[in-house]
Amino acid sequence: MMPERAFRFGRAGHLVGMVGLPTGAHGAVGVIVLNTGLMHRVGPFRLHVDMTRRLNALGYPTLRFDLSTMGDSGASAEAASREQQVRADVGDAVALLRAQTGCTRFVLVGLCRGAQSAHAAACTEPAVAGAIFLDGYIYRTTGFKLRHYLPRLLSPARWHGFFARKLRQAVAPEEVTFGSVYPPKEQVRGELAAMLARGLKLYFVYSGGIGEQFNHPRQFRECYGREVADHPALRMDLLDGTDHTYTLVCDRERMFGHVERWLKEQFPPPAPRVAAG
Amino acid sequence: MGMYHGVGGHASVGMLLCPPLGQSLLRTHRLYRQLATGLAAQGVCALRFDYRCSGDSAGDSGSLDWQNCVADIRQAAAELRVRSGCSMVIGFGAQLGGSLALAAAPAAGFAQLILWDPVLDGASHVAELDAWQETLRNDPLHYVRPRSAEEAGGQWLGFPVSLHWRAQVAAWRAAPVRVPTLIVDSLQQPEAGRWSPLAEAGARVVAMRPGTQWGDLHRLEHAILAPDLLRLVVDAAGQPA
Repeated sequence: MMPERAFRFGRAGHLVGMVGLPTGAHGAVGVIVLNTGLMHRVGPFRLHVDMTRRLNALGYPTLRFDLSTMGDSGASAEAASREQQVRADVGDAVALLRAQTGCTRFVLVGLCRGAQSAHAAACTEPAVAGAIFLDGYIYRTTGFKLRHYLPRLLSPARWHGFFARKLRQAVAPEEVTFGSVYPPKEQVRGELAAMLARGLKLYFVYSGGIGEQFNHPRQFRECYGREVADHPALRMDLLDGTDHTYTLVCDRERMFGHVERWLKEQFPPPAPRVAAG
Repeated sequence: MGMYHGVGGHASVGMLLCPPLGQSLLRTHRLYRQLATGLAAQGVCALRFDYRCSGDSAGDSGSLDWQNCVADIRQAAAELRVRSGCSMVIGFGAQLGGSLALAAAPAAGFAQLILWDPVLDGASHVAELDAWQETLRNDPLHYVRPRSAEEAGGQWLGFPVSLHWRAQVAAWRAAPVRVPTLIVDSLQQPEAGRWSPLAEAGARVVAMRPGTQWGDLHRLEHAILAPDLLRLVVDAAGQPA
């Protein structure tokens, strides 16, 4: 078990996080994991805990923490937009991990809403050298719609489901949800291109659980164009068959394997120190 | 890993918030924080914590052990006494956290218990969790194609389950303790004898509505809300609400 230590930190002392320290890893890239949805820093099914501990074992220092007002963190009492707060919080997280480990470069990891937070911070935070977006931004394309709707037009079962859904909605209106609103696609495309131009390395991993949004690896290029999708510093994988939050242990193992392989390729951990004599 | 919520002056009463396990721990995290903050505002100090092998604490999820959880409660209660100087500690727990608080009550020296939908019959709970897991692997809203029994085996709603932990939970049968006990009942379906044998032994049962959907597969990542819980718990702690 690698040592972990809890911290209260941040510009207003309002953030709470857990730093994971591998032995002798000073100088390595630090990995910062952001909240998934509204869940606290432990992550769905303890995903963030397992991920950070595995990365510690590979030699990466980590920080999993709660953004302002989430989990155990408080508010900073600043008058700022959510995006500004996220960027400032990530800046505080970078400062903490740098002070604790000596890291100068950082990789952000986020799932779903966490990927959106990682995107916002990666746009402006100069110490960020890479980002792993788990079910990050993606937009429906013409190709998506053809792949999605054409098979349904020919399926009686799909029509039955469609009418059953409409009937249910008519009887009982759908529950109010607190989904996030995507920025315009052109904005995200431009921001990704700017990140790549700054030298960031980006990894998009899509689960099989967002079939209403993403249904083929080709969609990524359809969505963002060759300039972004074919950039050598960007990689994208679709983990077909999994659900959105990797509920099954085998799905989490699969996702962890992809994340670890990408990190080791793009940001190799320091070689273990060998004792003299 | 724990979070202490102190009060401004001297606190004579403290409450140890024993978390549930599995995804319920994550779903109730915010509620436990609100509860601890609210209690502290009413002059009751509170300690939240994660058992080893859960939450932020050390250990793998698959290495949970009932006796270790009970020992962690005893240690956390001692920590609360040391930090606050309180003379009376109340044990609170939801679901399996309630069961563990009950099991740990004599060793932890709880003066009172507040149990929110506690599991009193471990074998039934195991059967329920198995049924939910079976439904999950076949759920079209989670998976395009049903997942195999091998892929979904040895887990309960996202968490690995060792045979050891499974057997320990299945063997759990609640027995009354000599501690004043309040059961907060927010289960959806009424069921005669559900709180037996605690109710027969004098435990008070208070219904809380709306009911709590602990096992809804489509809300596994949703926070559990219970707007009336704070009032109920503060009232039960004998403090002005």
